[in-house]
Amino acid sequence: MKSDSVLKNLVKKNWWISLIVLLALLIIFIPLPQSQNDAADRHFQVEASMFQFIPGRIQVNQGDRITLELISTDVVHGLSIDGYDFELIADPGQSQTATFIANKTGVFRFRCSIACGNMHPFMIGKLQVGPNWVLVRGIILGVLAVFAAFLSFRQSSHIQKSTVS
Amino acid sequence: MVKKERIARVLVVLFVFIAVLIFVVGWLKNQNLNADSIQIHARMPENGGWSVTSINAETNQPIHLKLTSDDVVHGFAIGKTNHPAVDIFPGEFVETTLLFDKPGTYTFYCTRWCGVNHWRMRGTIDVRGEGPLVTNPPPAYLQLGIDIDTEHEAEVIPATDVSPQTGSLFADDLPSYVLDQETYFSNSPAKIWMRLRAEPTLSELSDQEVWDVVAWIWQKNTSPSMIETGQTLYAENCAACHGETGKGDGIMVRDLPKHDSDEHSTNDPHSESGMGGLIRPHDFTDANHVLGASPALFSGKIIRGGMGTGMPYWGPIFTEEQINALVSYIYTFAW
Repeated sequence: MKSDSVLKNLVKKNWWISLIVLLALLIIFIPLPQSQNDAADRHFQVEASMFQFIPGRIQVNQGDRITLELISTDVVHGLSIDGYDFELIADPGQSQTATFIANKTGVFRFRCSIACGNMHPFMIGKLQVGPNWVLVRGIILGVLAVFAAFLSFRQSSHIQKSTVS
Repeated sequence: MVKKERIARVLVVLFVFIAVLIFVVGWLKNQNLNADSIQIHARMPENGGWSVTSINAETNQPIHLKLTSDDVVHGFAIGKTNHPAVDIFPGEFVETTLLFDKPGTYTFYCTRWCGVNHWRMRGTIDVRGEGPLVTNPPPAYLQLGIDIDTEHEAEVIPATDVSPQTGSLFADDLPSYVLDQETYFSNSPAKIWMRLRAEPTLSELSDQEVWDVVAWIWQKNTSPSMIETGQTLYAENCAACHGETGKGDGIMVRDLPKHDSDEHSTNDPHSESGMGGLIRPHDFTDANHVLGASPALFSGKIIRGGMGTGMPYWGPIFTEEQINALVSYIYTFAW
């Protein structure tokens, strides 16, 4: 009987822990309504030089038909996107164009697929399809963690005070 | 006991012999592999270009080449031959065998753009042997005495788009010299137009109709397959500077100043600005420039290069047919 009341007391005192855990799970796993944008045709010109893509970051919506034109400005470069079956190889003076549909959401790296010198492995860019929910969830989770830390600090000092008095 | 010792001794000698033999055989085999093959490393011209720039050979003696790249994608081909171009990828070896049946000096060159100095990646193969040397007659622009360095603005240009189909309707009325290939080769479209305009038999034709006739003459001297060849050659070798649309705005010359015919900045060595006085190539879509040039003039420019623009010389690389194909493709920008 006595141990039961102690447990109840503990739960009562630490109810906020379970609340925060619940909130954290909610933030991580809550399904978000997919934005239903009309698929648009989008054209991007990507210039490849040693050792960078310009622009190095492409942001599109899910379902967009993306036409990429790869222009090489010095040597033979390629462009392949991780997670998509897409590759372009362009010589200087012979720019190449291809189209694909961005049906997968998330952030994908695109990289040079043709060895182009010593810094070739670092020639990468970023394709972002749809809003970056992982980042948004991460930020909210971080705020929650700070809040939880603050709360636990207050709670412990409260307990200490009560034990001293 | 003695017998056993003898066996042991024989075995030791045998093993030592085998151990030495392995190295000798390996060395001999390696010798055979590398004996008649030349290993060439390709590097960007700024880092040394071809590691071998001159090869001596004899006629009907195959040359084995092992090619590799140390940095970017390069290619290997031999000018004025049918030898297929091979691509050289960094970290990979590619082998090719050359066979020459005529003595002479051949030029090998890089076929994939590897920077602004890509065209400097060239080397020579000296082929000696029996038989007449491969010699090239002096190019037409020298025989005709054309100065390829001067400006060649067209005296007249068509007001609207030309139609070779319309031009073909007047084919029967034309004087005989216009269908002569020599006339086509040594005259600019503007010159031919003026000559035809002066013909009394063609006085009923409008100015535009005479232009249609000139366009038809130019079409007669080319073929769809020639245009196609020219287009491929242009894309691979010229577009990086002259631009994919022929506007003279290719990615390699973006930072260079535009050609300015009024200032004649090319003649003044002190007015150099930026990249060693180099200027952008002319706009091929500008009829004023293109229709004032004869095919002989254009082929001269391709053969010799220069003209104060940093254009490479293609004489040792393109065959006459290839240059003619390129020239007929250049005109398609302006019509």
